[in-house]
Amino acid sequence: MDDKQIALEKIKKTVTDNPVVLYMKGTPQFPQCGFSGRAAQVLKLCGLTSYVAVNVLEDAGAYEYLKYYADFPTFPQLYIKGELIGGSDIMLNMYEQGELQKLIAGAIGRQE
Amino acid sequence: MKITPENIKDYIRQGLECEHLDVDGDGRHFEAVIVSKAFEGKGLLQQHKLVYQVLGDRMEKIHALSMKTFTPEQWAKRA
Repeated sequence: MDDKQIALEKIKKTVTDNPVVLYMKGTPQFPQCGFSGRAAQVLKLCGLTSYVAVNVLEDAGAYEYLKYYADFPTFPQLYIKGELIGGSDIMLNMYEQGELQKLIAGAIGRQE
Repeated sequence: MKITPENIKDYIRQGLECEHLDVDGDGRHFEAVIVSKAFEGKGLLQQHKLVYQVLGDRMEKIHALSMKTFTPEQWAKRA
């Protein structure tokens, strides 16, 4: 397997093994980009306290190849139950519509 | 060469017929409002993917692009 295949396999495993995964620049506590910070903030507003956040600045494979996984070229990217939901614009829009909260609740098995 | 909001407008217009298109930005961060019939029947993710496809490799030069996408119908209701 080449680097790309290895990276894509790792991404697939991460997003399918975990109900909610955020690929971002930096960490939820110390985001390194405004959009990534906004994405983490939206998850916080959804009441989600524990999720997998992958810092792409410390994961060369994800940094280089995540764009190929779901054909989406920018960071951050939110995955719920293995499916790409979108970047921070889509997350904020869905939060404002009340949809993101429902999706997250469904994914982690929490009752609203 | 620094990318201007006008550049991004041109890139989008070249590949996507828009009823309304607004791009604002400072050369690093851009905000786009895009209204197109091509978005009809698509979810937000597919709409954003369509814009990224139109921008193609030029996305690598665009540091950060925030976008709001609407179908003409959604846009009319909003205004």
